[in-house]
Amino acid sequence: MFNLPLSTTLLVFGFPAFWILYTLGFLFLTRNWKRSEVDRRERPSQEEAS
Amino acid sequence: MNTTVLVFLVLYFVVVLGIGFWAMRRGAGGDLENYLLGGRKIGPLVTALTLQSTSMSGFMFLGAGALGYVEGYWGLWYAAGDIGGGVVNMSVIGRRMRKLSQLTGSLTPIEYLEKRYPSAAIRLVAGGLTVFLLGSYVLAQFIAGGKGMALVTGLPYGVALLIAVGIILLYTYLGGYLAVAYTDFFQSLVMIIGVLWILGAALAEVGGFAAANRAIAVLEPSLVSIWGRDLGYQGQWGVVLGAVLIFSIGYMGWPHVVTRHMAMKNPLTARKAGAYATAWNLLFVPAPYIVGILAILILPEISDPELAIFEVAQKLLPAAVTGIVMAAIMAAIMSTADSLLLQTGSIAARDLYERFIDPNASERRMVLVSRLMVLAIGGVGYLVALVQPPTVFQVVIFVTSVLGSAFFPAYVCAVWWRKANTPGALTSIIAGASVSFVWQLLGLETASGLHPMVAGLLASTTAMIFVSLATQKRFPVPQQILDQMTEAANLGSVAEPS
Repeated sequence: MFNLPLSTTLLVFGFPAFWILYTLGFLFLTRNWKRSEVDRRERPSQEEAS
Repeated sequence: MNTTVLVFLVLYFVVVLGIGFWAMRRGAGGDLENYLLGGRKIGPLVTALTLQSTSMSGFMFLGAGALGYVEGYWGLWYAAGDIGGGVVNMSVIGRRMRKLSQLTGSLTPIEYLEKRYPSAAIRLVAGGLTVFLLGSYVLAQFIAGGKGMALVTGLPYGVALLIAVGIILLYTYLGGYLAVAYTDFFQSLVMIIGVLWILGAALAEVGGFAAANRAIAVLEPSLVSIWGRDLGYQGQWGVVLGAVLIFSIGYMGWPHVVTRHMAMKNPLTARKAGAYATAWNLLFVPAPYIVGILAILILPEISDPELAIFEVAQKLLPAAVTGIVMAAIMAAIMSTADSLLLQTGSIAARDLYERFIDPNASERRMVLVSRLMVLAIGGVGYLVALVQPPTVFQVVIFVTSVLGSAFFPAYVCAVWWRKANTPGALTSIIAGASVSFVWQLLGLETASGLHPMVAGLLASTTAMIFVSLATQKRFPVPQQILDQMTEAANLGSVAEPS
Protein backbone atom coordinates (compact mmCIF):
# COMPACT_ATOMS: atom_id res chain seq x y z
CA MET A 1 0.00 0.00 0.00
CA PHE A 2 1.26 3.52 -0.89
CA ASN A 3 4.31 1.89 -2.48
CA LEU A 4 5.58 0.82 0.92
CA PRO A 5 6.68 -2.69 1.94
CA LEU A 6 4.11 -4.57 4.06
CA SER A 7 6.16 -4.23 7.24
CA THR A 8 6.43 -0.46 6.81
CA THR A 9 2.70 -0.19 6.07
CA LEU A 10 2.00 -2.04 9.31
CA LEU A 11 4.31 0.31 11.19
CA VAL A 12 2.73 3.45 9.72
CA PHE A 13 -0.92 2.39 10.01
CA GLY A 14 -0.95 -0.55 12.44
CA PHE A 15 0.29 1.26 15.52
CA PRO A 16 -2.17 4.17 15.22
CA ALA A 17 -4.97 1.61 14.80
CA PHE A 18 -3.76 -0.20 17.93
CA TRP A 19 -3.79 3.00 19.98
CA ILE A 20 -7.28 3.88 18.78
CA LEU A 21 -8.48 0.47 19.97
CA TYR A 22 -6.60 0.90 23.26
CA THR A 23 -8.27 4.28 23.85
CA LEU A 24 -11.73 2.94 23.01
CA GLY A 25 -11.09 0.02 25.38
CA PHE A 26 -10.03 2.44 28.12
CA LEU A 27 -13.18 4.51 27.63
CA PHE A 28 -15.34 1.38 27.68
CA LEU A 29 -13.76 -0.06 30.82
CA THR A 30 -13.98 3.23 32.70
CA ARG A 31 -17.57 4.08 31.73
CA ASN A 32 -18.64 3.78 35.39
CA TRP A 33 -16.17 6.39 36.65
CA LYS A 34 -18.59 9.28 36.28
CA ARG A 35 -21.34 7.44 38.14
CA SER A 36 -18.94 6.74 41.01
CA GLU A 37 -17.97 10.40 41.13
CA VAL A 38 -21.62 11.45 41.41
CA ASP A 39 -22.35 8.78 44.04
CA ARG A 40 -19.34 9.87 46.04
CA ARG A 41 -20.45 13.50 46.07
CA GLU A 42 -23.98 12.59 47.07
CA ARG A 43 -22.98 10.21 49.86
CA PRO A 44 -21.97 12.77 52.55
CA SER A 45 -25.22 14.69 52.19
CA GLN A 46 -27.22 11.46 52.53
CA GLU A 47 -25.27 10.56 55.66
CA GLU A 48 -25.87 14.02 57.04
CA ALA A 49 -29.58 13.67 56.33
CA SER A 50 -29.78 10.43 58.26
CA MET B 1 15.06 39.21 7.77
CA ASN B 2 11.55 38.51 6.47
CA THR B 3 9.15 41.08 7.94
CA THR B 4 6.00 38.98 7.45
CA VAL B 5 7.50 36.03 9.31
CA LEU B 6 8.56 38.36 12.08
CA VAL B 7 5.09 39.91 12.35
CA PHE B 8 3.52 36.47 12.86
CA LEU B 9 6.13 35.51 15.40
CA VAL B 10 5.67 38.73 17.35
CA LEU B 11 1.91 38.24 17.25
CA TYR B 12 2.36 34.73 18.61
CA PHE B 13 4.65 35.92 21.41
CA VAL B 14 2.17 38.66 22.34
CA VAL B 15 -0.67 36.14 22.66
CA VAL B 16 1.45 33.79 24.76
CA LEU B 17 2.53 36.59 27.08
CA GLY B 18 -1.08 37.80 27.25
CA ILE B 19 -2.16 34.36 28.47
CA GLY B 20 0.65 34.46 31.02
CA PHE B 21 -0.57 37.81 32.39
CA TRP B 22 -4.17 36.58 32.40
CA ALA B 23 -3.16 33.52 34.42
CA MET B 24 -1.31 35.73 36.88
CA ARG B 25 -4.38 37.96 37.36
CA ARG B 26 -6.49 34.85 37.86
CA GLY B 27 -4.66 34.35 41.10
CA ALA B 28 -1.78 32.06 40.36
CA GLY B 29 0.69 34.07 42.43
CA GLY B 30 1.18 33.85 46.19
CA ASP B 31 -0.23 30.49 47.31
CA LEU B 32 2.12 27.57 46.65
CA GLU B 33 -0.52 25.04 45.57
CA ASN B 34 -1.86 27.59 43.08
CA TYR B 35 1.61 28.40 41.76
CA LEU B 36 2.80 24.79 41.44
CA LEU B 37 -0.42 22.96 40.53
CA GLY B 38 -2.82 25.66 39.37
CA GLY B 39 -4.92 25.01 42.47
CA ARG B 40 -5.66 21.45 41.20
CA LYS B 41 -8.49 22.68 38.99
CA ILE B 42 -7.37 21.84 35.43
CA GLY B 43 -10.06 20.18 33.27
CA PRO B 44 -9.62 17.26 30.81
CA LEU B 45 -8.99 19.17 27.58
CA VAL B 46 -6.34 21.47 29.03
CA THR B 47 -4.83 18.53 30.95
CA ALA B 48 -4.54 16.48 27.75
CA LEU B 49 -3.08 19.26 25.67
CA THR B 50 -0.61 20.49 28.30
CA LEU B 51 0.46 16.86 28.79
CA GLN B 52 1.01 16.39 25.07
CA SER B 53 2.55 19.72 24.21
CA THR B 54 4.92 19.35 27.17
CA SER B 55 5.91 15.89 26.01
CA MET B 56 6.37 17.00 22.40
CA SER B 57 9.33 19.29 22.62
CA GLY B 58 11.50 20.99 20.05
CA PHE B 59 12.62 17.43 19.42
CA MET B 60 9.57 16.92 17.23
CA PHE B 61 10.56 19.66 14.80
CA LEU B 62 14.32 19.12 14.91
CA GLY B 63 15.12 15.60 16.12
CA ALA B 64 12.12 13.85 14.52
CA GLY B 65 12.59 15.66 11.22
CA ALA B 66 16.28 14.79 11.23
CA LEU B 67 15.55 11.15 12.04
CA GLY B 68 13.12 10.89 9.11
CA TYR B 69 15.59 12.65 6.83
CA VAL B 70 18.57 10.46 7.78
CA GLU B 71 16.98 7.07 8.54
CA GLY B 72 13.69 7.15 6.57
CA TYR B 73 10.75 5.15 7.95
CA TRP B 74 12.85 3.71 10.78
CA GLY B 75 12.05 6.96 12.64
CA LEU B 76 8.39 5.97 12.77
CA TRP B 77 9.22 3.44 15.52
CA TYR B 78 9.53 6.43 17.85
CA ALA B 79 6.20 7.82 16.61
CA ALA B 80 4.56 4.40 17.03
CA GLY B 81 5.02 4.52 20.80
CA ASP B 82 4.56 8.25 21.11
CA ILE B 83 0.98 8.20 19.78
CA GLY B 84 -0.12 6.14 22.79
CA GLY B 85 1.98 7.94 25.41
CA GLY B 86 -0.83 10.16 26.68
CA VAL B 87 -3.53 7.54 27.03
CA VAL B 88 -1.13 5.01 28.57
CA ASN B 89 -0.13 7.61 31.14
CA MET B 90 -3.72 8.51 31.95
CA SER B 91 -5.02 4.95 32.02
CA VAL B 92 -2.21 3.46 34.10
CA ILE B 93 -1.40 6.10 36.71
CA GLY B 94 -3.52 9.22 35.99
CA ARG B 95 -6.54 8.78 38.26
CA ARG B 96 -4.75 7.02 41.12
CA MET B 97 -1.81 9.43 41.16
CA ARG B 98 -4.17 12.42 41.22
CA LYS B 99 -5.88 10.99 44.24
CA LEU B 100 -2.84 9.69 46.11
CA SER B 101 -1.00 13.00 45.66
CA GLN B 102 -3.94 14.82 47.22
CA LEU B 103 -4.26 12.31 50.07
CA THR B 104 -0.57 12.69 50.87
CA GLY B 105 -0.63 16.48 50.40
CA SER B 106 2.13 16.38 47.78
CA LEU B 107 2.76 19.43 45.62
CA THR B 108 5.65 18.18 43.48
CA PRO B 109 6.23 14.77 41.88
CA ILE B 110 9.37 14.31 43.99
CA GLU B 111 7.61 15.15 47.25
CA TYR B 112 5.01 12.59 46.18
CA LEU B 113 7.74 9.95 45.93
CA GLU B 114 8.98 10.72 49.43
CA LYS B 115 5.46 10.58 50.86
CA ARG B 116 4.86 7.20 49.20
CA TYR B 117 8.33 5.83 49.97
CA PRO B 118 9.14 7.58 53.26
CA SER B 119 12.82 8.52 53.27
CA ALA B 120 14.83 11.71 53.01
CA ALA B 121 17.25 9.83 50.74
CA ILE B 122 14.51 9.31 48.13
CA ARG B 123 13.82 13.05 48.09
CA LEU B 124 17.51 13.94 47.86
CA VAL B 125 18.42 11.43 45.14
CA ALA B 126 15.26 11.91 43.07
CA GLY B 127 15.34 15.72 43.49
CA GLY B 128 19.02 16.07 42.61
CA LEU B 129 18.72 13.74 39.62
CA THR B 130 15.62 15.51 38.33
CA VAL B 131 17.07 19.00 38.64
CA PHE B 132 20.14 17.90 36.67
CA LEU B 133 18.19 16.06 33.96
CA LEU B 134 15.41 18.61 33.49
CA GLY B 135 18.02 21.36 33.45
CA SER B 136 19.74 19.53 30.58
CA TYR B 137 16.41 19.05 28.84
CA VAL B 138 15.76 22.80 29.03
CA LEU B 139 19.09 23.29 27.34
CA ALA B 140 17.91 21.22 24.34
CA GLN B 141 14.82 23.43 24.01
CA PHE B 142 16.89 26.60 24.10
CA ILE B 143 19.19 25.28 21.38
CA ALA B 144 16.20 24.31 19.25
CA GLY B 145 14.62 27.74 19.70
CA GLY B 146 17.82 29.59 18.93
CA LYS B 147 18.58 27.52 15.82
CA GLY B 148 15.09 27.83 14.41
CA MET B 149 14.64 31.52 15.03
CA ALA B 150 18.07 32.32 13.68
CA LEU B 151 17.39 30.45 10.44
CA VAL B 152 13.93 31.81 9.76
CA THR B 153 14.32 35.41 10.94
CA GLY B 154 17.93 35.87 9.91
CA LEU B 155 18.81 37.14 13.38
CA PRO B 156 22.18 36.07 14.80
CA TYR B 157 21.93 32.83 16.85
CA GLY B 158 22.78 34.58 20.14
CA VAL B 159 20.09 37.24 19.70
CA ALA B 160 17.45 34.72 18.58
CA LEU B 161 18.31 32.55 21.58
CA LEU B 162 18.03 35.51 23.94
CA ILE B 163 14.54 36.41 22.67
CA ALA B 164 13.26 32.82 22.96
CA VAL B 165 14.72 32.32 26.45
CA GLY B 166 13.55 35.74 27.65
CA ILE B 167 9.92 35.15 26.69
CA ILE B 168 9.81 31.66 28.20
CA LEU B 169 11.30 32.93 31.45
CA LEU B 170 8.94 35.87 31.62
CA TYR B 171 5.64 34.01 31.48
CA THR B 172 6.84 31.05 33.56
CA TYR B 173 8.03 33.55 36.16
CA LEU B 174 4.73 35.40 36.14
CA GLY B 175 2.00 32.84 36.22
CA GLY B 176 3.32 29.49 37.50
CA TYR B 177 1.51 26.28 36.55
CA LEU B 178 -1.71 27.96 35.45
CA ALA B 179 0.16 30.12 32.94
CA VAL B 180 2.11 27.10 31.73
CA ALA B 181 -1.03 24.94 31.33
CA TYR B 182 -3.06 27.56 29.45
CA THR B 183 -0.21 28.68 27.21
CA ASP B 184 0.44 24.98 26.50
CA PHE B 185 -3.19 24.61 25.47
CA PHE B 186 -2.92 27.50 23.02
CA GLN B 187 0.47 26.32 21.79
CA SER B 188 -0.76 22.79 21.16
CA LEU B 189 -3.37 24.18 18.77
CA VAL B 190 -0.73 26.26 16.97
CA MET B 191 1.48 23.17 16.73
CA ILE B 192 -1.27 21.14 15.06
CA ILE B 193 -2.06 23.86 12.53
CA GLY B 194 1.61 24.43 11.73
CA VAL B 195 2.62 20.80 11.32
CA LEU B 196 -0.40 19.82 9.22
CA TRP B 197 0.09 22.84 6.99
CA ILE B 198 3.70 21.98 6.25
CA LEU B 199 2.84 18.30 5.79
CA GLY B 200 0.16 19.23 3.24
CA ALA B 201 2.56 21.52 1.37
CA ALA B 202 5.30 18.87 1.33
CA LEU B 203 2.92 16.17 0.04
CA ALA B 204 1.68 18.48 -2.70
CA GLU B 205 5.27 19.27 -3.71
CA VAL B 206 6.26 15.59 -4.12
CA GLY B 207 3.04 14.54 -5.89
CA GLY B 208 1.41 12.69 -3.01
CA PHE B 209 2.34 10.02 -0.47
CA ALA B 210 2.53 7.03 -2.82
CA ALA B 211 4.55 8.90 -5.45
CA ALA B 212 6.98 10.11 -2.79
CA ASN B 213 7.55 6.59 -1.48
CA ARG B 214 8.20 5.31 -4.99
CA ALA B 215 10.74 8.08 -5.60
CA ILE B 216 12.50 7.51 -2.25
CA ALA B 217 12.72 3.76 -2.92
CA VAL B 218 14.42 4.52 -6.23
CA LEU B 219 16.95 6.77 -4.48
CA GLU B 220 17.66 4.33 -1.63
CA PRO B 221 15.36 1.30 -1.07
CA SER B 222 16.37 0.86 2.57
CA LEU B 223 14.83 4.24 3.46
CA VAL B 224 11.30 2.87 2.97
CA SER B 225 12.08 -0.17 5.13
CA ILE B 226 11.56 -0.36 8.88
CA TRP B 227 15.29 -0.91 9.46
CA GLY B 228 16.82 2.45 8.58
CA ARG B 229 19.36 3.59 6.02
CA ASP B 230 21.43 0.68 4.66
CA LEU B 231 19.32 -1.58 6.93
CA GLY B 232 21.54 -0.41 9.78
CA TYR B 233 19.08 -1.57 12.47
CA GLN B 234 18.02 -4.84 10.83
CA GLY B 235 17.03 -7.43 13.42
CA GLN B 236 17.94 -5.16 16.36
CA TRP B 237 14.67 -5.71 18.21
CA GLY B 238 16.19 -4.45 21.46
CA VAL B 239 16.73 -1.06 19.86
CA VAL B 240 13.27 -1.13 18.24
CA LEU B 241 11.66 -1.94 21.58
CA GLY B 242 13.46 0.98 23.22
CA ALA B 243 12.34 3.35 20.46
CA VAL B 244 8.71 2.31 21.03
CA LEU B 245 8.90 2.37 24.82
CA ILE B 246 10.79 5.61 25.34
CA PHE B 247 7.84 7.84 24.40
CA SER B 248 5.00 5.48 25.39
CA ILE B 249 5.53 4.06 28.86
CA GLY B 250 8.63 6.23 29.33
CA TYR B 251 6.38 9.28 29.91
CA MET B 252 5.28 7.76 33.18
CA GLY B 253 8.75 8.35 34.55
CA TRP B 254 9.00 12.01 33.57
CA PRO B 255 8.36 14.19 36.63
CA HIS B 256 7.42 17.27 34.55
CA VAL B 257 4.76 15.18 32.78
CA VAL B 258 3.28 13.22 35.69
CA THR B 259 2.80 16.45 37.62
CA ARG B 260 -0.08 17.02 35.15
CA HIS B 261 -1.96 14.21 36.91
CA MET B 262 -1.54 15.94 40.25
CA ALA B 263 -3.01 19.19 38.87
CA MET B 264 -6.17 17.62 37.39
CA LYS B 265 -9.53 18.90 38.58
CA ASN B 266 -10.54 15.45 39.85
CA PRO B 267 -9.59 11.79 39.23
CA LEU B 268 -12.36 11.49 36.64
CA THR B 269 -10.51 14.02 34.45
CA ALA B 270 -8.03 11.29 33.50
CA ARG B 271 -10.65 9.46 31.43
CA LYS B 272 -11.51 12.22 28.98
CA ALA B 273 -7.93 13.54 29.00
CA GLY B 274 -6.70 10.14 27.77
CA ALA B 275 -9.08 10.23 24.81
CA TYR B 276 -8.21 13.83 23.92
CA ALA B 277 -4.51 12.97 24.11
CA THR B 278 -4.88 10.13 21.59
CA ALA B 279 -6.84 12.33 19.19
CA TRP B 280 -4.22 15.08 19.35
CA ASN B 281 -1.34 12.61 18.98
CA LEU B 282 -2.85 10.93 15.93
CA LEU B 283 -2.92 14.28 14.18
CA PHE B 284 0.41 15.59 15.37
CA VAL B 285 2.96 12.86 16.11
CA PRO B 286 3.62 11.16 12.73
CA ALA B 287 3.70 14.42 10.75
CA PRO B 288 7.20 15.77 11.62
CA TYR B 289 8.80 12.38 10.87
CA ILE B 290 7.01 12.19 7.51
CA VAL B 291 7.97 15.75 6.60
CA GLY B 292 11.57 14.78 7.38
CA ILE B 293 11.24 11.78 5.04
CA LEU B 294 9.71 13.90 2.28
CA ALA B 295 12.54 16.41 2.70
CA ILE B 296 14.84 13.74 1.22
CA LEU B 297 13.17 14.51 -2.11
CA ILE B 298 12.51 18.22 -1.63
CA LEU B 299 15.94 19.19 -0.33
CA PRO B 300 18.43 16.38 -1.03
CA GLU B 301 21.44 18.42 0.11
CA ILE B 302 20.95 19.74 3.65
CA SER B 303 24.06 20.40 5.72
CA ASP B 304 22.25 20.12 9.09
CA PRO B 305 19.41 17.52 9.00
CA GLU B 306 17.98 19.01 12.21
CA LEU B 307 16.95 21.99 10.11
CA ALA B 308 15.08 19.87 7.53
CA ILE B 309 11.60 21.01 8.58
CA PHE B 310 12.62 24.67 8.83
CA GLU B 311 14.18 24.53 5.36
CA VAL B 312 11.15 22.79 3.84
CA ALA B 313 8.90 25.48 5.37
CA GLN B 314 11.06 28.23 3.95
CA LYS B 315 11.19 26.65 0.51
CA LEU B 316 7.53 25.72 0.08
CA LEU B 317 5.42 28.11 2.06
CA PRO B 318 4.59 31.78 1.57
CA ALA B 319 6.06 34.09 4.21
CA ALA B 320 2.83 34.46 6.22
CA VAL B 321 2.40 30.69 6.50
CA THR B 322 6.08 30.23 7.30
CA GLY B 323 5.41 32.63 10.17
CA ILE B 324 2.63 30.34 11.44
CA VAL B 325 4.82 27.24 11.06
CA MET B 326 7.63 29.04 12.84
CA ALA B 327 5.22 29.96 15.61
CA ALA B 328 4.24 26.27 15.81
CA ILE B 329 7.86 25.27 16.15
CA MET B 330 8.43 27.87 18.84
CA ALA B 331 5.24 26.62 20.50
CA ALA B 332 6.61 23.07 20.68
CA ILE B 333 9.84 24.34 22.15
CA MET B 334 8.35 26.84 24.57
CA SER B 335 5.55 24.61 25.85
CA THR B 336 8.13 22.07 26.95
CA ALA B 337 10.72 24.55 28.18
CA ASP B 338 8.26 26.41 30.42
CA SER B 339 7.10 23.17 32.06
CA LEU B 340 10.67 22.03 32.55
CA LEU B 341 11.68 25.33 34.07
CA LEU B 342 8.70 25.42 36.40
CA GLN B 343 9.25 21.82 37.50
CA THR B 344 12.96 22.28 38.01
CA GLY B 345 12.34 25.46 40.01
CA SER B 346 9.61 23.79 42.07
CA ILE B 347 11.68 20.71 42.84
CA ALA B 348 14.76 22.75 43.72
CA ALA B 349 12.70 24.99 46.02
CA ARG B 350 10.31 22.53 47.62
CA ASP B 351 12.26 19.26 47.52
CA LEU B 352 15.76 20.50 48.11
CA TYR B 353 15.69 24.01 49.65
CA GLU B 354 12.73 23.63 51.99
CA ARG B 355 13.35 19.97 52.78
CA PHE B 356 17.07 20.18 53.49
CA ILE B 357 18.01 23.85 53.98
CA ASP B 358 15.15 25.87 55.45
CA PRO B 359 12.28 23.67 56.68
CA ASN B 360 10.45 26.69 58.12
CA ALA B 361 10.37 28.65 54.86
CA SER B 362 7.06 30.46 54.32
CA GLU B 363 4.98 29.76 51.18
CA ARG B 364 5.80 33.24 49.93
CA ARG B 365 9.48 32.52 50.28
CA MET B 366 9.09 29.19 48.52
CA VAL B 367 7.49 30.84 45.51
CA LEU B 368 10.34 33.36 45.50
CA VAL B 369 12.98 30.60 45.65
CA SER B 370 11.21 28.72 42.86
CA ARG B 371 11.18 31.84 40.69
CA LEU B 372 14.84 32.55 41.38
CA MET B 373 15.67 28.98 40.36
CA VAL B 374 13.74 29.46 37.12
CA LEU B 375 15.84 32.53 36.39
CA ALA B 376 19.11 30.82 37.37
CA ILE B 377 18.47 27.71 35.26
CA GLY B 378 17.36 29.85 32.34
CA GLY B 379 20.55 31.91 32.61
CA VAL B 380 22.86 28.90 32.81
CA GLY B 381 20.97 27.15 30.00
CA TYR B 382 21.28 30.25 27.82
CA LEU B 383 25.05 30.42 28.35
CA VAL B 384 25.62 26.73 27.57
CA ALA B 385 23.35 26.89 24.50
CA LEU B 386 25.28 29.92 23.35
CA VAL B 387 28.80 28.65 23.92
CA GLN B 388 28.76 24.93 23.09
CA PRO B 389 25.43 23.58 21.86
CA PRO B 390 25.14 19.78 21.39
CA THR B 391 22.47 18.42 18.99
CA VAL B 392 18.89 18.47 20.17
CA PHE B 393 18.41 14.78 19.31
CA GLN B 394 21.38 13.71 21.45
CA VAL B 395 20.26 15.66 24.50
CA VAL B 396 16.59 14.63 24.31
CA ILE B 397 17.25 10.91 23.84
CA PHE B 398 19.84 10.98 26.62
CA VAL B 399 17.61 12.78 29.13
CA THR B 400 14.36 10.96 28.35
CA SER B 401 16.04 7.54 28.48
CA VAL B 402 17.53 8.25 31.91
CA LEU B 403 14.34 9.81 33.28
CA GLY B 404 12.09 7.03 32.02
CA SER B 405 14.43 4.29 33.23
CA ALA B 406 14.94 5.84 36.64
CA PHE B 407 11.39 6.78 37.59
CA PHE B 408 9.00 4.51 35.65
CA PRO B 409 8.86 1.67 38.23
CA ALA B 410 8.77 4.12 41.14
CA TYR B 411 5.69 6.00 39.83
CA VAL B 412 3.83 2.95 38.55
CA CYS B 413 4.44 0.81 41.65
CA ALA B 414 3.55 3.77 43.88
CA VAL B 415 -0.12 3.25 43.04
CA TRP B 416 -0.26 -0.37 41.87
CA TRP B 417 2.05 -2.49 44.06
CA ARG B 418 1.50 -2.53 47.81
CA LYS B 419 4.82 -4.25 48.45
CA ALA B 420 6.90 -1.55 46.73
CA ASN B 421 8.91 -0.13 49.62
CA THR B 422 11.56 2.52 50.23
CA PRO B 423 14.72 0.42 49.65
CA GLY B 424 13.15 -1.01 46.48
CA ALA B 425 12.29 2.43 45.10
CA LEU B 426 15.65 3.96 46.00
CA THR B 427 17.61 1.11 44.43
CA SER B 428 15.35 1.18 41.40
CA ILE B 429 15.91 4.91 40.78
CA ILE B 430 19.67 4.63 41.19
CA ALA B 431 19.98 1.44 39.10
CA GLY B 432 17.76 2.71 36.26
CA ALA B 433 19.54 6.07 36.02
CA SER B 434 23.03 4.56 36.28
CA VAL B 435 22.53 1.78 33.72
CA SER B 436 20.86 4.06 31.18
CA PHE B 437 23.54 6.73 31.70
CA VAL B 438 26.48 4.31 31.39
CA TRP B 439 24.85 2.56 28.41
CA GLN B 440 24.84 5.83 26.49
CA LEU B 441 28.18 7.04 27.77
CA LEU B 442 29.97 3.86 26.63
CA GLY B 443 27.96 3.50 23.41
CA LEU B 444 26.73 0.02 24.39
CA GLU B 445 23.63 0.28 22.18
CA THR B 446 25.52 -0.78 19.06
CA ALA B 447 27.50 -3.53 20.78
CA SER B 448 24.55 -5.06 22.64
CA GLY B 449 21.70 -4.31 20.24
CA LEU B 450 19.79 -3.00 23.25
CA HIS B 451 18.41 0.55 23.51
CA PRO B 452 19.56 2.41 26.67
CA MET B 453 15.90 2.80 27.65
CA VAL B 454 15.39 -0.97 27.62
CA ALA B 455 18.62 -1.64 29.50
CA GLY B 456 17.74 1.01 32.11
CA LEU B 457 14.16 -0.22 32.47
CA LEU B 458 15.28 -3.81 32.96
CA ALA B 459 17.68 -2.67 35.69
CA SER B 460 15.21 -0.42 37.51
CA THR B 461 12.28 -2.85 37.33
CA THR B 462 14.38 -5.80 38.46
CA ALA B 463 15.79 -3.75 41.33
CA MET B 464 12.33 -2.61 42.42
CA ILE B 465 10.92 -6.14 42.49
CA PHE B 466 13.83 -7.99 44.07
CA VAL B 467 14.88 -5.39 46.63
CA SER B 468 11.29 -4.71 47.73
CA LEU B 469 10.63 -8.41 48.25
CA ALA B 470 13.98 -9.04 49.93
CA THR B 471 13.55 -6.17 52.41
CA GLN B 472 9.81 -6.53 52.99
CA LYS B 473 10.09 -7.73 56.58
CA ARG B 474 12.62 -5.15 57.67
CA PHE B 475 11.10 -2.23 55.78
CA PRO B 476 7.35 -2.88 55.46
CA VAL B 477 5.17 -0.27 53.78
CA PRO B 478 3.59 1.77 56.63
CA GLN B 479 -0.09 1.02 57.27
CA GLN B 480 -1.07 4.66 56.71
CA ILE B 481 0.32 4.50 53.18
CA LEU B 482 -1.41 1.20 52.49
CA ASP B 483 -4.69 2.82 53.60
CA GLN B 484 -4.05 5.77 51.29
CA MET B 485 -3.34 3.38 48.41
CA THR B 486 -6.62 1.60 49.09
CA GLU B 487 -8.46 4.90 49.05
CA ALA B 488 -6.65 5.99 45.87
CA ALA B 489 -7.77 2.76 44.17
CA ASN B 490 -11.42 3.51 44.96
CA LEU B 491 -13.35 5.44 42.36
CA GLY B 492 -14.50 9.00 43.08
CA SER B 493 -12.78 12.12 44.40
CA VAL B 494 -11.20 12.52 47.80
CA ALA B 495 -13.95 13.55 50.22
CA GLU B 496 -13.60 17.24 51.10
CA PRO B 497 -13.28 17.90 54.85
CA SER B 498 -16.54 19.28 56.21
